[in-house]
Amino acid sequence: MTTVMDLSNALAGAVERASGAVLAVHGRPRLPSTGVRWRAGLVVTANHTVEADREVTLTGPDGRTLSAQVAGRDPRLDIAVLRTDAESAPAADVADDGELRIGHLVLAVGAGPRASAGIVSALDVGGGRQASGEIVAVDLTLYPGFSGGPLVDVRGRVVGITTSGASRHLQCAVRASAVSRLVDHVVQGGRIPRAYLGVGTQAVVLPDALRDRLHLAQRTAVIAVNVKPDSPAAAAGLIIGDVIVSVAGHAIAEPEDLMAVLRPDRVGRAVTLSILRGGEPRDLEVIVGERPQRA
Amino acid sequence: MSVLSAPEASPPHLAWIAERLRQVTVEIHTEAGGGAGILWAADLVVTNAHVARDSWARVGLADDRHVEARLIIADRRADLALLRMPRSEVAPAALADSDALRVGALVVALGHPLGLRRTLTAGVVHALAPARPGGRRWIHADVRLAPGNSGGPLADTAGRVVGINTMIAGGLALAIPINDVRRFVASAAAGAT
Repeated sequence: MTTVMDLSNALAGAVERASGAVLAVHGRPRLPSTGVRWRAGLVVTANHTVEADREVTLTGPDGRTLSAQVAGRDPRLDIAVLRTDAESAPAADVADDGELRIGHLVLAVGAGPRASAGIVSALDVGGGRQASGEIVAVDLTLYPGFSGGPLVDVRGRVVGITTSGASRHLQCAVRASAVSRLVDHVVQGGRIPRAYLGVGTQAVVLPDALRDRLHLAQRTAVIAVNVKPDSPAAAAGLIIGDVIVSVAGHAIAEPEDLMAVLRPDRVGRAVTLSILRGGEPRDLEVIVGERPQRA
Repeated sequence: MSVLSAPEASPPHLAWIAERLRQVTVEIHTEAGGGAGILWAADLVVTNAHVARDSWARVGLADDRHVEARLIIADRRADLALLRMPRSEVAPAALADSDALRVGALVVALGHPLGLRRTLTAGVVHALAPARPGGRRWIHADVRLAPGNSGGPLADTAGRVVGINTMIAGGLALAIPINDVRRFVASAAAGAT
C-alpha cells in the first residue's frame, strides 16, 4: 500500500510547501489570478491578468491584504513582476528547470490553495512569440484563476509560472529560469526593459531561386514596411523594402520571430541583421534600443 | 487523467484499489432514474438524494445480483439518502477521515458514468472549499465525472472513501466530505430508533 500512498502524500506535501509563497492577485475585475512571491518584495504573475493603470492588491496565504505596483511587464512571455512591501513571508523555492523531462509529474497551484496535476508534455514550445527554451507545455487543467501561479514538481519546488495566455491551444508554463531573468532585470534596473528596433515588418515568400542561391532553409522572411526615423534600425541604415532574413543568427520567418529574438537582455547590445537588398545579401549591425515604458 | 501512469508502475497499484472499491460500489435504479451508491453496512446503502428519488430502489451489487432496497430517509438539502436492503456478505466500504484530506492528494472516483458500470477515474484533490461563498465545504477534485457517478465513492489511495461524488461544476468533481455523511447516517439512525 505504501508506494501509491507515498506518492499521494508527496503531491499533497508539494502543494502545501508551494502554497506558502502563493498569493491571490486582484488586478482585473471579478476573477482574481494567482501570483508567486519570487524574492522578498517581488511577486510574479501572468501579465494578462493585471490590467494597466489599475490598483493591484494581493491576498496572502494568511488572508492578509497587501498593495502592489507593477514593476515590469514582459507581454512576450506573459509575465508581470509586482513590487510589494517587503515582508518576512517566505519566497518560493525555485528549482533548476533544466532537470525537467517530458513525462515528469507536475502540479499547478492556485491561491486557496487549489491544485491540478498532470505531466510535462513538451519541453520547448517555441516558434511563436517566445524564444526557444522559455516555455514548456503541460498536460493538466489550468482552472479559471490559475494563471500566474506556480508549476511545481513533486517536491513542491517551483519550476515555472502557468499561464493560459502564452498559447491558444496548449496549457503552458514559463520556465522558472526565464522568469528569474526577468526578475533580475527588476532587481538590477528597477524595470523590465522592452527591446526595440523601430521597424515594422510583414512576412514575404522567398523565391526558390533566391533560396537556392543563398542556401536558405526558410521559406519566408520579413520585409521592412516602416522604419521609424531616429530609431536603432534607421541608425543602422535599414530602409523600407529591405528583407530581414535573420537576426543574431536566428532565422526570421514571420514578424513574431522578430519579437522572440528581441529579449530584454539584448537591450543596449549589438546584433547582426542579415538582410536582402535588391536580392543581394548584406549584414547590418544594430544596437538594440529600449522602448519607452508604460506601466 | 494522466497521473495514472506513475502509480501504476509500482505495486500495489491503483488496479488493486479499484477492485476493493468495485465491491462496495452499487448501482441504484429507480423509476425516476439512477446512479451509484456506497455499501455503508451489511444492509445499508448511502447515495445522493437526487439519485434515490423513490421510496423503493433496485440495487445492483458487484456480483451482478440485484436486490430491492427501501428508502429510510432522504435529506434533499444535504443531497444524501440512506437505503436499507437485505444483508449482504460483502465487507462494507472503508472510510477515511475527510478532515485530514489535503489539496494535491491523489484520489479516485468509482461509478457508472454514462452507464459504463464500475468505471474508475483518477486525479487530485483540487480544493477544500465552499462551492459558493458562505456555503458548506465540498471536496473539489480534478477528476473526470459524468452523469452516473452521482452517489458513488471518491476514495484515497488506500481505497478508503473520502467523499460522495455529487456534482460536476466547471469540469471539477464536487463531493460531499465523508465526515458529513457519517453525521447524516448517525442522525438518521438516531431518528429511526
